[in-house]
Amino acid sequence: MSFPRAVTFLWLASARNRVLRQLQRLRQPKYLVGAVVGGLYLYSAFVRPLIYRGQGGVAPPGAQLVSQLFLVGGMLFTMLSAWALGPDRPSLSFNETEVQQFFPAPVSRRGLLHYKLARGLVGAAMGAFVATVFGSRMLSGQPILFFLGATLTLSTVHLHVTAASFVRTRLARYGGTGTALRWGALTAVSTLMIIAALSVLREHPLPTELNHPRQLQTLLASLMDSPALWPGRLLVALPLAPDVASFLRTLPLGLGLFAVHYVWVMRAAVPFEEAAVVRAEERARLQERLSREGGQATFLRVRPAYFQLAPTGRPEVAILWKNLVAGRRLGGAGRLLAAGLVGGVVAAVASGRGMSEALDNVRLFMAPLCAGLAGVLCVFGPSALRYDLRMDLPRLEQLRALPLTGRQVVAAELAAPALLLGVTQVGLVLLAMVMAVWQGGTYTELWVTAGLGALCVLPAVSLGGLFVQNAAVVLFPAWLQPEGERVRGLEALGQRLLTLVGTLVALLVGMLPAVLLAALVGFGLNLLLDLGVWALPFAGAAAAAVLVAEVALGVVGLGHAFDRLDVSTEGTGTAA
Amino acid sequence: MDWNPPGEPRILSYMSDAGMWAPVLDVEGLEKTYGDVRAVQGLTFQVAPGEVLGLVGPNGAGKTTTLRCLAGILPPTRGRVRVAGHDLASEQVRAKHALAFLPDEPRLFEYLTVWEHLNFVARLYGVADWEERARALLDEMELAGKEKALPGELSRGMKQKLSIACGFLHSPRLIILDEPLTGLDPLAIRRMKASLRQRAEAGTALVLSSHLLPLVEELCHRILVIAGGRAVALGTLADIRAQLSGPDGSAASLEDLFIRITSAPPEPRPEREAP
Repeated sequence: MSFPRAVTFLWLASARNRVLRQLQRLRQPKYLVGAVVGGLYLYSAFVRPLIYRGQGGVAPPGAQLVSQLFLVGGMLFTMLSAWALGPDRPSLSFNETEVQQFFPAPVSRRGLLHYKLARGLVGAAMGAFVATVFGSRMLSGQPILFFLGATLTLSTVHLHVTAASFVRTRLARYGGTGTALRWGALTAVSTLMIIAALSVLREHPLPTELNHPRQLQTLLASLMDSPALWPGRLLVALPLAPDVASFLRTLPLGLGLFAVHYVWVMRAAVPFEEAAVVRAEERARLQERLSREGGQATFLRVRPAYFQLAPTGRPEVAILWKNLVAGRRLGGAGRLLAAGLVGGVVAAVASGRGMSEALDNVRLFMAPLCAGLAGVLCVFGPSALRYDLRMDLPRLEQLRALPLTGRQVVAAELAAPALLLGVTQVGLVLLAMVMAVWQGGTYTELWVTAGLGALCVLPAVSLGGLFVQNAAVVLFPAWLQPEGERVRGLEALGQRLLTLVGTLVALLVGMLPAVLLAALVGFGLNLLLDLGVWALPFAGAAAAAVLVAEVALGVVGLGHAFDRLDVSTEGTGTAA
Repeated sequence: MDWNPPGEPRILSYMSDAGMWAPVLDVEGLEKTYGDVRAVQGLTFQVAPGEVLGLVGPNGAGKTTTLRCLAGILPPTRGRVRVAGHDLASEQVRAKHALAFLPDEPRLFEYLTVWEHLNFVARLYGVADWEERARALLDEMELAGKEKALPGELSRGMKQKLSIACGFLHSPRLIILDEPLTGLDPLAIRRMKASLRQRAEAGTALVLSSHLLPLVEELCHRILVIAGGRAVALGTLADIRAQLSGPDGSAASLEDLFIRITSAPPEPRPEREAP
């Protein structure tokens, strides 16, 4: 069998097997539901608008112009960055399997190069398809022409990036001279582009105020026509062709650019095997780290644990301790939060004239900032802090072998992120309360009472969010990302939608009894004892108690599901 | 208990707390199916304290699935597994407390140091004197001095040793090993064999799966050969030899026997082969 035929067989067989595997997974109703939801979403969001485009589905001219400008800019940036960024080595990347299978095979370097170029072509077609489904409405009125043109354009850009890496490798052999030559050429091109852009801005200065949307449209049109974007315009002329006649007129240009780039790649080709092996090893190492760290590749520094783990006592505390250690050593979300707070303080101080005004601003801004951050953590915290079953997904087998019941495992896994989130939220709410008291005024009492209520409610809401996220791991392990890989397929898309919607629905449904009880307690106390705003802490405590009770019940159910979970039937990397 | 040389007849049951003779591992009619694929079918065997049972079979025979069922990782489709007298289905925590499962690929927590791994395991199993035991195990596994190292700083063999040390820490009554010597150098293999032998002498039951037939021949008292998910031979090497070799095959090695057993024409089966 010749190499091209072997490669064709490999691709077809791989695609067929992938589809078969996904179809086999659909035998389980939960995955079938995901596929149906994903299919409906894709149809309603992207396919249907494409079909019914004639009924006014095309974006307005202004929006189209902006999208086209971004497209041209994106193409130019990709091409320029191929010359400016990254190391001076061939950009062809092979995975470890390809290195092991193809490099010792009786295949010439030219054959391998053609293999990678063909892969690039397939990748370009896939990219063009995705762009057509998701973005052609914004860019062009002709989806089929857009797809064909985008395939050719993306292939040309791929060839350009490959050729650039070859030329850079050759230039690097000349040491400093080669580098100077490359950067000299880059600087010259960039300068020309900047001059061209400035000349456009001189002719069409940015309007100080927009009286009519047409003004902006004219400016964008003149920018598009400027010589600065000329190379990019050449590239995107084909996908942006407005009709068949225009497409056919532009086709020779597109094909010519492609052919020139192909000849350039073949003539500029340098030995790439060594670089390909290095890249393959780098990718394999990253993959291994992703696998071992549950999808997070992070630089690890050994920091002390939050507390010493005693050898005796409740065994599930070991999992809590382990996940807290993981949070301490892998986490970066805390730094983001601290940066937000420091940023708030700096902005408050900077906006004041003198120390007194700066302090006033700090008091004024920091209370709502802290309260807002504590509230936002309820929404984003459970997704961001993954030191739970989501992190341990690649180790489900290990968890199953531990001398713990499913309920203990689920509860212990939930505990660490809940604790980290809860402590952070409590800290933020306390800070907000202190700032509000320091500020004084009419609403101080409301700040304090609402804060006391929030101290209970916010951590409980976060706990609910974490529970829903972890429930997905136990109920749909095959949809999550085992071994650091991304699960693909229609049903995976549906699963993500279901998880998103499910999280919201589960939270809302779960919160409904809590809200009702809180309202009952709050209004009841106010009516009976005339507590006023001081009923808020009691209402908050009641709501939190309901939420915690719901999660506790959920943990019992999820624990049973964990005990019954058969990792071997899920088709995930969790079962070898 | 004395170490009985492999091949010698052995007493296969020991006195339980209730005064009954009881094995550490008691497997009865174990079956595991994946859809319409029957990976393991009707396995029944027992392992006594201090006994080493070797599990051998061709690739895809169902060895790893069997071991995972024994360790409580996979729920059996049918059958019963009792560890130290505890049913793995109804008393899973007690049963798992008595066993350790050592997979061929060590799965460590990248963010815990060597010492913290042992601390973690100690808490899970409630090992009060864990520090003393951990030091002894690290010495035994030649990991002394690596206490503060993260798994990312260890070689493949060292990770395997750490995984084994974690498994040994709580002195389990049953140790299940899936290809335990993968990644170890010759010296470490020798030490590991001695360590396993020592633990068996101390009364620990071992179930060991390996393709290294000389290892199985050297360490195991009895051998369970499985093919297509079924037990095709169970007994001491001498038993199997006598059963299969005939009068002229008394000197046949385990490798000869293995090839003879597993290359025999399979019984007609309606199901597909196990993955």
